Formats: sequence, C-alpha cells, structure tokens
Amino acid sequence: KVVHRHRTATDSTRPGNWLDSEWDNPMQFVLACVSYAVGLGNVWRFPYLCQMHGGGGFLIPYMLMLVLLGVPLFYMELAIGQKMRLGSIGAWRAISPYLGGVGMASVVTSMYLCLYYNVINAWSFWYLFHSFQSVLPWAECPVNSNLTGPVEECERATPTQYFFYRETLDISGSIEENGGIHMGQALCLLLAWIIVYLFIVKGVKSTGKVVYFTATFPYLVLIIYLIRGVTLHGAINGVKYMFTPKMEQLAKPTTWINAATQIFFSLGLGFGSLIAFASYNQYNNNFEKQAIVVSMVNSSTSIFASIVTFSIYGFKATFNYESCLERVRLLLLNTFDLAEDTISLENVNHWIAELNRTHPEQFASLGGRLETCDLEAELDTAVEGTGLAFIVYSEAIKNMPVSQLWSVLYFIMLLLLGMGSMLGNVIAVITPLSDLKFISVLSYLVGLVCLFCLLLGLGFTTRSGNYWFTMFNDYGATFSLLFIVLIEVITVCYIYGIKRFEKDVEDMLGHRLNWYWKIMLAGVSPILLIALFIFYIVNYIQGGTPTYQAWNKELGKSVVTEYPPYAQAFIGLLLASSVCCIPLTALYTYCKKRNLASGKRERTVSTVSA
Amino acid sequence: MLVWILFLLCQVGAPALAQDLCQRDAPNGYKVRISLKTALGEDAYEWNQSEMFFFQATMAFAMRRHFQMETYNVDNIILCVQTSRVSFWFVVTSPDNTTMLIPKADVEKAVRMSRHRINNAFLLSDRTLEFLGIYPTLAAPVNPDTPPWLIVFGVVIGAVCAGIIALLVSSLLQKRRKEKGMTEDGQDEEDMQVKGVENGINLDGTYNRGFTDDDRFTKL
Repeated sequence: KVVHRHRTATDSTRPGNWLDSEWDNPMQFVLACVSYAVGLGNVWRFPYLCQMHGGGGFLIPYMLMLVLLGVPLFYMELAIGQKMRLGSIGAWRAISPYLGGVGMASVVTSMYLCLYYNVINAWSFWYLFHSFQSVLPWAECPVNSNLTGPVEECERATPTQYFFYRETLDISGSIEENGGIHMGQALCLLLAWIIVYLFIVKGVKSTGKVVYFTATFPYLVLIIYLIRGVTLHGAINGVKYMFTPKMEQLAKPTTWINAATQIFFSLGLGFGSLIAFASYNQYNNNFEKQAIVVSMVNSSTSIFASIVTFSIYGFKATFNYESCLERVRLLLLNTFDLAEDTISLENVNHWIAELNRTHPEQFASLGGRLETCDLEAELDTAVEGTGLAFIVYSEAIKNMPVSQLWSVLYFIMLLLLGMGSMLGNVIAVITPLSDLKFISVLSYLVGLVCLFCLLLGLGFTTRSGNYWFTMFNDYGATFSLLFIVLIEVITVCYIYGIKRFEKDVEDMLGHRLNWYWKIMLAGVSPILLIALFIFYIVNYIQGGTPTYQAWNKELGKSVVTEYPPYAQAFIGLLLASSVCCIPLTALYTYCKKRNLASGKRERTVSTVSA
Repeated sequence: MLVWILFLLCQVGAPALAQDLCQRDAPNGYKVRISLKTALGEDAYEWNQSEMFFFQATMAFAMRRHFQMETYNVDNIILCVQTSRVSFWFVVTSPDNTTMLIPKADVEKAVRMSRHRINNAFLLSDRTLEFLGIYPTLAAPVNPDTPPWLIVFGVVIGAVCAGIIALLVSSLLQKRRKEKGMTEDGQDEEDMQVKGVENGINLDGTYNRGFTDDDRFTKL
C-alpha cells in the first residue's frame, strides 16, 4: 500500500517544527474563522449603520451585498489558502510571481491593524479592572479639590465621558499636543500583548484550543445581555426604533456603499488572515460549506448584537428622558412653590402650558433653565465605534441594578471579541514570516513580533494617542484593503485563470465550481469592488481636508478639527505604504527575471563565441 | 391705666414687629425647602404646626450648640411665608434683644455644625431638607493606598505569566525527553518519518520517496 499526500506542482510542506501544524479538526478552523470575523465591528458598527440607514430596511442591502460580495470573496480566500498551504506572501507568489506584492500588502495592512487594534483590548482591560469597585468610577463625577462640587470638566460633560477622556486616556486638546505615556494604559497594553503571545506561541495547536472559548463565550454573554436588555424599562422603545424601517433610505447610494463596506470589513477579507487560517487545513477539507456557514454566522451575530444594543439604547434613552422630566418637574415645583404631588411625571407638559398661561412673568423668569425633554431626540443620538462601546454602553450599565456584574460581563465579552480578532491579525503576519524562514524557532518569531508591536503600540497610549488611533482606524486599513481585494479577484479570475482555479477546487473538494461562484467571482464581485473603489476616491477628494474629533476640555465636548499638514502626510504614507507593495514587487520581479534572462543569453553567447 | 394700654400695645405690636423682621428675601434669613414625599414616599408624615414648632426647637438647639453660652429659645426662631411646597423663610433673633437679628453668616455656621442632627430629626437628608444658600460639604473622596484596579491587574498578569512559564517549561521538558529518546534509539525518529506517520498514527506500508519534500535538500 503506497501512502502519499495528494500533491501538485505548487504544493509544499512547511519547514522544521511546523510539520505538524494543522488544525486538530475542521471544527477548530470554523471556530477560528468565526472568532476572527465576529469582532467589535459586529457590536458597534452594524447597529450604528442600522440606525443611520433606516432600521429594518438596512437589512435588504446588507443581505444582498453578503450574497454578491461577501460569501464569494470569502470562499476565494479560503480556497487559495487551503490550496497553496502557505501564508499570504507565499500563496500569491505561487499564484503569479509578479503579484507576490499582494501578499506583502496584506501583511503590511495586518501589521498596522495589529499595532492599533490591541489598544482597544487595553481599554477593555482598564474598564474591566475598574469594575471591581463598590461604585463604578464612571457613575459619578469626582469632587474637586475644595470639596464644593464636582470637577468642572466632568460637570460640563457627563461622568462617563469624563472617565473615558480624562481618566482612561488623559487626552490632550489636539493631535499636536503630545504628552507622556499613561502608565495604566501601558500596563494594560502589556497585558494584552502577553495574552496574545500566550495564545499563539504554540502555533495553531494552542490557537486551536483557545478559539473554542473565544468563539463561543461571547454568544453566552450576548444571550444573557439580551435577556437583561429586553427586560429593562424602556428597552422596547429602542427595539421599536431600530426595526421601524425607513424605506426612503434605500434610495440613497450611501446606504448601499455602507452595506458593502460593512460586509467587506466584517468578514476580514484582504488581511491575509483567512488565507493563513486555511493554510493549516487538510487538503480535502470542505471549505465551501464552511465559507457559507461562517458568513451566515457573522451576519446573524451582527443582527443579534444590534437587538441587544438597541434594547440597551432604548433603556438609556428612556432613563435620560425620565431624568429630564424629573428635573423639569422639580424646577416647576420649586419655582412656583406647589405641593409635591400636584405635578407627576405624566402631566409635566400639561403643567408647563398651564403655568405659562396663569403666571407668565414668573414663567419667563425660568428662562433657559427649562429643558425640553424629547425621547426621539435621545434615541436619535447615534454613536458608533469606541464612543458606543465605552461611553454609551457604560452609561447604560451604571444605571442597571447590580451594575458591577453587568460591567464585568460586558467588558469580558468585548475582550473576547477583540482577542479573537487579534489572533487572526497576528497569525496573518506570523504565517508568511515563518514561511520566509527568517527565524526557525516559532516562539522566538512570535515573541519578536509581539514585542515589536507592543513597543510601537505604546505610542497610542500617550496623551494624543487616541487621535493617532483614530487616524489608523479610519485610514490604515480601509482604502488599501479595497485595492488589495480588487487585485486579488482580478488575479485569481483573469491572470491565474478561472479555469485553473476551477480545476484546483475540483481537486480539493471533488466537485466542480457551482455556476453561482463562477458568476460572482468572475463578474459581479469585481464590478462591485471597482464601484466601491471609485466611490472611496471620489468621497475622499470631495471631503476636503481630513478632520478628526478633538476633545475640548473647556467645553466638555468634541470639536471637529483639521489634521495638521504632517498628519495628513502621514495618512498619505499609511495609504501608500501598503498599496505600493503591489506595483513595486511586480517591478522588482520583472527586473529580476529580465536580468536572469539577459544573464542566460550572455552565457550562451559567450559559449558560442568561445 | 396707662400701663394696661402699653401692655396691650406690646401684645399687638410684638408679632407685627416679628413680621417685619421675617419676610421673603429677608437679608438675614434663609429659605428652607422640604421634600417629604420624595424622601419618605408613602411613609411621609403631614407637615403641620407641630412640625413647624419642632423645626423652631431644632434650630434653637443648633444655635445653642454653636454659641454654647447664649440660651436660645423657640421664640427666637421666627418663621414666615409658608407655602404648600413645604417651603418657608426663617430668621433668628438674639435672645437678649428680640429686635436684633443674628447675622446670616453665624446662622450658616450653626446650621453647618448641626446639619446632620437637623436632618435626622426630620428623617430627611441634605437633598430633601434644603437650606437655600448653604451648600452641603461633599464627602471627601476615599483614596486607598493601592488603587483597586491595580490589584486585579496584578492578579491577572501574575496568572498569565505563570501560564507562559508553565507552557515554556513543558515544551522544554518535552524537547529534552525527545532528545533522550533519540540518543537511546536514534533510528526510531527516521523510521517514523519514513513510514509516513500521519497525525501520530503509524501507517503500514512503503513510503513512496518519489513524493517526499526534496526541496529542502536541492535548493537552487
């Protein structure tokens, strides 16, 4: 009986101690992909988009883009990884020597992501550790030095904002004002990187076991939060608000663009993580079914998480609305010296009209102190990103009974989501580097990468660090990814050839490519990607000077500020550095081949002449 | 006769005089606001004349406690402008001369000193028994020596570092065991590779060398 592994010309095994690097079973691979794809974006970006683009109606462009763009590209990346059994650099070099730069660009982008993404985990740790107190520190303003009242900055803003901007970040007024490193943040970042090291140091053997936990535990917390969320007072307002479809939003092109980009980034295409994960698969693994499963799980998690988010939103909005009503009620009682039980929360508005009629001069003396309380306005305050996770959610949590427990649960969930995505990011960098055989011992390579990212990441813990973080978040991976995936699709379908790709897939799976995959990959997805790409460029040019939100200490809120010239140059550098890899590598390979060819010709000429 | 007329005048005049001393926005008076229903809900007692008398007595006690020498009485605390909110104004007269008012600052000091006792007398708090103009001193923040978050951080990072050390030590031990295994019968490792060990399961059969990874040995 002959034992051999099914091989083709482009197959290769991994060097040295990676020989046994495979997932223990296909379930680990699926869970790793789920853990990577289901990340913070599902919790804080999708609910925001849902709210912005008409609630329930947004699901239509979202699902459409999933089918047209998300699943086929996901399938393609898994196929490449499983076929080539190498990280992104090696895989793309094997597909087409001129386009090995695509892999390089993926690694550069993943590196940027590694640098700033772990800072979010550091913040989650910070909040988690601060939850073990009898009174949550973001629940109340600290008193000032005279003990006469709360700190002014906290008074003008809210306690949760104060805790985030002052105590967590110690943020400066603009990106130009640097400051020292925040020691607490630096310690939390160190912890985050040590944990990442621990999870990856043994390669997929250790990662494979970790993902059982990081992929499943967040769902447990989400379910607990769902039950808690829908039983909160006023939650139904939020859920109703979210699901009321505003169909007119579908007419705007921004809705469709945002749906496409959300699918795109949520699945983590173009970073090289999926290729890296798939490269540890058995050759005949059925990745077709797994691609569909992971994409569906990712999208359903987004919808599920947004139900939780909106019930929390509804609770917070109702709480704020009722607090506002209470304040107005007290103001009326005190100004007009009425008995306490004359005005209740329900008839506040009735009494405002009544008192205005009966005591106009006294009513006028109230002036600006009389607030207007509007539930819709509270619900309309849409927030995304770190603002949602760390400010809005913590504000809602502090008002829940037993808030410490909910706080701990929530931040553990954020940590798991973030860590799961971090694993994918770091593996996307380590796999191609280990294929290049720079350092043979895996634990040294992992340690070096983690140390490097930690040291550079300390820059994000300085006083202006959050502004640099926002810059990386907005520009580091968005545009370059679109370009990378566009080149990927065109390479696979037209340079490598859809026919060859079809044969490879048949080799692995045992059946031919479905017409759905063929049409999507060769036709629909490239067109959609080109459209997205053009839209991004147009939007960027039209947007004028890029701006950011700077925290103003005196006003107690964020103001829109323009980036200084050197920061704009840095943005350009971020975009160019990953995108340039592709043409530069192509040029380099072309020159090398020409030199080789001309060298051969010279030798043949010389032997002939000799 | 004259004495009797004078006496009558005094009886009529005194309360009128008192009224002049205590009025809305009196320069030496304070406004008090009481929120019974907010504080006590259903257990709220009714605010009536007896409660007002109790307030006078409490204030007199506060004044006595602060000044310690002068004997203040309920008559020295004059109340007026009562509303259904339950709010009213009060002024304090000196025990020696009922026409002289105690200055605002002194009253404030007395109230601040006995604020806790006054609150408790009425089962109220700083928020529900308000002296408008006298702000309660906030509790000083409790600053523990080690911030609690640092303690939790220390525990977690200790556990993680222990995990890493355990992992590295176990891999080191495994490597040493493997090396010892190799020196004892060095052929076993080679044979295992040749015989095509897949996932640790020894498969019987000849390993077809035509398909081994020759790249390692024949590099260009």
